Order: sequence, then structure tokens, then C-alpha cells
Amino acid sequence: MSVLETAPGPARRAWHSSPAVRLGALGVLVCAVACADLFAGRGVTGDGVRAVLLGGGDPMAEHIVLQLRLPRLLVALVAGASLGVAGLVLQSALRNPLAGPEVTGVTPGAVLGAVAATGLGLAGWDSPAAVVVAACLGGFAGAGLLWLLAGREKGDPEQTAVYGVLVSAVLAGLTAVVLLVAPGELGSVVQWLIGSTEGRVWQHWHLLWPWAAVWGAAAWLLAAPLTLLRCGDEQASAAGLDPGRGRAAALVCAVALTAGAVSAVGALGFVGLLVPHLALAVFGADLRITLPGAALLGAAVVCGADAAAQLLSRLLATALDADRLTLPVGALTTFVGAGLLLVVARRRADER
Amino acid sequence: MVPVCLTVAAVVSAVCALSLGTPYVPPARLLATLGSDGLAGLVVTELRLPRMVLALVAGACLGAAGLVLQEALRNPLAVPEMLGVSSGAALGVAAPLVLALSVPLGLQPFLALAGAAFGGLLTLVAAGFGRSPSSVLLTGAAVAAALQAGLLVLMVMADQLDLQLIYRYLLGSLSARTWDDVTGLLPWLAVAVPALVLCVPVLGVLRLGDDDARALGVRVERARVAALGIAVVLIAPVVAVCGPVAWVGFLAPHLARRLKPDGGAAGWLVRSALCGAVVVLCADQPARLALAPVETPVGAWTALVGVPVGVVLLKRGRRLAAGRGPVRGDLPVQGGPDGRGAGGRAADASVPLLRKAER
Repeated sequence: MSVLETAPGPARRAWHSSPAVRLGALGVLVCAVACADLFAGRGVTGDGVRAVLLGGGDPMAEHIVLQLRLPRLLVALVAGASLGVAGLVLQSALRNPLAGPEVTGVTPGAVLGAVAATGLGLAGWDSPAAVVVAACLGGFAGAGLLWLLAGREKGDPEQTAVYGVLVSAVLAGLTAVVLLVAPGELGSVVQWLIGSTEGRVWQHWHLLWPWAAVWGAAAWLLAAPLTLLRCGDEQASAAGLDPGRGRAAALVCAVALTAGAVSAVGALGFVGLLVPHLALAVFGADLRITLPGAALLGAAVVCGADAAAQLLSRLLATALDADRLTLPVGALTTFVGAGLLLVVARRRADER
Repeated sequence: MVPVCLTVAAVVSAVCALSLGTPYVPPARLLATLGSDGLAGLVVTELRLPRMVLALVAGACLGAAGLVLQEALRNPLAVPEMLGVSSGAALGVAAPLVLALSVPLGLQPFLALAGAAFGGLLTLVAAGFGRSPSSVLLTGAAVAAALQAGLLVLMVMADQLDLQLIYRYLLGSLSARTWDDVTGLLPWLAVAVPALVLCVPVLGVLRLGDDDARALGVRVERARVAALGIAVVLIAPVVAVCGPVAWVGFLAPHLARRLKPDGGAAGWLVRSALCGAVVVLCADQPARLALAPVETPVGAWTALVGVPVGVVLLKRGRRLAAGRGPVRGDLPVQGGPDGRGAGGRAADASVPLLRKAER
């Protein structure tokens, strides 16, 4: 069913350990990546970070680590987890391996909502709450537009995905118009069109985690019906599940999770599309285990990308002697994601 | 119905393009004003007329390129935006702007050409030189996303003034273009038009499906690369001058097929170019006037209007195809044109996004 799943490689057969062990291993990986992210940034040396973590250090280092790096790290983790779960829920509900939030109008809608709200002066970047609400409304609007456009072909997953791509194009056009009406926003928005964890503070974190926790829990409660839905509508209704209602509930969850993540870190490319495939390859098709797995994987991926982006921009800054050069994490996830997608397309072509 | 609408839209937009704005020139006096020396005459001949011509030429190029790509890859969604061609060209033009390298105006089309060729070739190389249309499209989406990310990185690095300039350019804008820009396009057209004429028969054969085309003696992979090359030559100069005017290459071919469902590749090519020209000209009027005196980019309007209309046309085509069997000219989404003849090839050529999930 999924692109990666159809090719059981040797790597997959090697995973004979129990799901708990795999989840544990992933947890350790997330911790390791989180530590790397704490140490990767500019401004404080590794010794300084260690000193702060052990309870000492000078005030400057303490401020940087506790007020800047820690919230940034946490936001990256939770946003990654949200995107991973949202992608898996979407792909399972629509039964389409290519239905990431990016191609179902959810992410572009959320971007449009947030940009429109700030551009029209209804919300400011200093009041994240309003931005979350606007992004949510936008995400639902994007998904609703897709719903309307798909019309009678809703049950047809691949049609839905095609219309999703086109809805995304329209929403991007609208965003562009809004940005032209309010050009002052452009500088702050661009970072966010690509996805960046730069300058995320505790305020963002306090808004993000309850939201992600509530909807993540809701998604997990839907895991069993979603596993049924993955098998097909006939099977699901034979098992006593109303496919339409189950799908709608799942979509609401996915939109809410995506909107939260987008309002916090922007449109991180390819995370919602590729992390679910990875999770399915590692954990198999039982979503009760795979959903938490996707959350952990998403967190690890975004956090790792953030650490790598910080390291790279530090290297670039010293190499090019340009201090304001920063590499946004979204650029990294998009590049890597595109590369992965190329490999997948290549392999599919080889299989024929 | 559709031809009448298009003609009316073209005439009305042309008159609007020449007479509306400041100063307003009444349509009845347009001809008299054209040659005159006054302010109105200068504005009409030196600003509005070249802009109109540029809109027509750019639209025609994009429409023709879109049709070539859609026919060569046998896919109603194979448009420059989804194959990395447009974003590659945009990256080629935007990079020197941000990195503060001064590039002479005449060189810009070459930069765009290099970028477009890079994007397109990357797609083809990564997809294994067109082994199957579906893998080309999936790869193209990935390449386009990566190039977009590159563009956004550049925008993050740029300062505020550059940023607005780049952003406006990236959306496609026809503002402040002169006759020089129009004449700059001509040499490229001189290359592209004969190539288009030469490739029409091959396009007609490619439509039959890979196996049939091979049986008729067409080297399918090479033909696809050649078609992509022609599309690049058509798109790159347009992008260099006005930026990537989005989704015209999607809308125009669908309109053209609607105009003459039973036409061959040649008929569609001509109609697609005409439709593209009309679409860009029409879209340029709201771009000029909607928020006057601030100009909006024409690309935003073509995306806003072009995509929904294109979707409706796609859906109509599908319904017709479902209703009375395969109709020539309407590319049914599932299976594509190959779905009607060689049944065995249908699964191979269907778009990945449209792929039937294995039930």
C-alpha cells in the first residue's frame, strides 16, 4: 500500500525485536538528538552548555541555554511529532501513501490563515495564540476546500490527492496576494514559509504542547478504527465501523495537529509526507504502536535536522564570514525529503 | 460557446490593456493616439502596447510549452510548475540578484535557461531518463520542491529591499516592461517555433502509448528529452523577462482540448498557444488595475483563476470519458489516454498521485 512498505528490504526483516524495544530504542535516539541540538547552536561553547546543565555557568550562557535553546528544542520536538502523527493519520484515513499535509491543502491553508491574520493586523507575531487560531481556521478552510472540490469523488483517495495539490496551488497564490498587500510582513514571513525554529521561546511552547497533547491523544484513540480503514472501506464497514464518520474524525485530528505545528514552526517540508513511511517500515501496520512510533520518529527527524541546520549555518558563517547567515531547518528537511522521494521514485521505476 | 467567450475576452482585454489606467484613453481615440507625440501617445505606444504584446507572447509560449509537456509525458498534470522547470529558471534568475552579482540584462535569459535545463534534466536523470511517465512526475515534484527550498533559502538571506523585488519577480509580473524586453524574446522564438513544428508529429505518436510509439519507430526516451528541451527553450526566456507566470501551462492545454476535442496534436498546439496568450492578457488587467496604484503580480491571478478552471475542465473531461467511453482530447485522469487502447500499459502510465491504491 505505501511506497516504502511494498519493498521489504533486508533492513526490515532484521527488525524482529518486539515493538516495545523498538520504541525504547527510538526514545534513546530522540534523547541523543535532543542533546546534539542543545550543543549545536552558536553563542555558547559546549563546555558552557555543560556547565549550565550541571547548574552553574555564567548568566549569559544560562540565558542562551535556558531561554533560547531549550524552548527551541522542545518546540522542534513537539512540532515534529505532530507532523509525523498528522501525516500518518492522513495517509491512513485517505488510504493514500502520498497524502501528506502538504498535498492535502492543510499546510498551505494554515500558512494562509496565519499570514492573512497578521497581514490584516488581527494577530501579531508577538501573540502566538491568535496565530494558532488563525492557522487552525486556515487549515480547516484548506481541508474544507478540498472536501468541496473532491465532491462526489471523496471516496476516491487518488482523486482527493490530485485536488489537494491543486488546492495547495490556489492557497499559495492567495498567500502571495496577501503578502503583497502587506509587504512589511515579508521579512518575518519568509522564514516561516519554509519552516524555521529560529527564535521560538517558552511562550510558543506553552501554547503548543497542550494542543499537541490533546489532539495526539485523540489520534491515538482513533488508532484502531484507522487500522481498519487502512484495509479498505468494505472491510471497515464489515467490522462495524462507519467509514465516513471515522474518516472525518481522523481528518479533524490531522488538521488540528498540522495547524498547531505550522503555527509554531511554519511549513516544514516533507516531514508529514515521509516520516509515516519510515514509521510503517519500522513498526508495521498496527497503528496503536505505529502512531507513537511516528511521533517519536518525527520528533527525532525535525530535531536532528535542527541540530544539523545549526551546525551547518555555524560552519557557513565562519566559511563565508557572514554573520547573519542562518540555514532554516525547513530547507534541510525539504532537501533531504526531496532526495528520499527521488530514491523512492527510482526504486519504483526499477521494480517494474 | 467557448470560442465566442475567448474571443470576446481577448478583444475586451486588449482594449482595456490599451485604454484603461492613467491617463485614460477612450477606446474610440486609441488609433488616433497611437502615433501622436503627446503624453497619452507615449504612454500607449511605449508602455501599454509593449506590455500587451509581452503578455500575449509570454502566454503563448507558456501555453505551448504546457501542451508539449502534457502530451510528451501523457499526463494532464505534467506542467512546468510540477517538473522543476519553472522553479529552476526562477532560481537561475534570482540567485545573482541575492548574491549581489551584477549580470547584464542580455545574459539573464541564459541564466534562466541554464536553471530551467538544470531543473528539467535533474528530473529526467533522477527518473532514469523517462522510464515511465509516472516516475518522471513523482521525481519532478521532488525536484521542484527542492528548488523551491533553495529559492526560499536565498530569500531568507536577502535583505528587505531585495526581498520585495525577488518576491514580486517570483510571482511573475509584467510591470515596467518595454519594447527591449519584447525584442529580447524574438531570437528565442526563432529557435523554438521551428522546433515546435518539427516535434508535432512525434507528439501525435507518443500519445498512442510507449509500446505503440516504439512499434512505429519512435525512440521514446529521446523524444521525451527533446520535448522537454523544447519546453525549456520556450519557458526560460519568458521566466527571465516576466518571472514564472504560474499555471498558464496547466490551464491553456485543457482549454485547447475543450475547444476542439477531436483535434490532433497540431491543432491543440496552436489553440493552446492562443489560449495561453488570451489567459495572460486577461489576467494582466486585474493585475494592473485591481489595487491601483499598487500593481499585483499577474502570476497570482493566473494561479487563483487558472487552477480552479483547470480543475473543472479536468473533471468535465473525466465525466465525459466515464459517460460515453474514452473521448479523444479529454485526457481522463485515470489511466490517461493509454487507458483506452493497450490495456496492459494503463497501470504503468497512470500518474502516481492518481494511482489506484492496491485494494
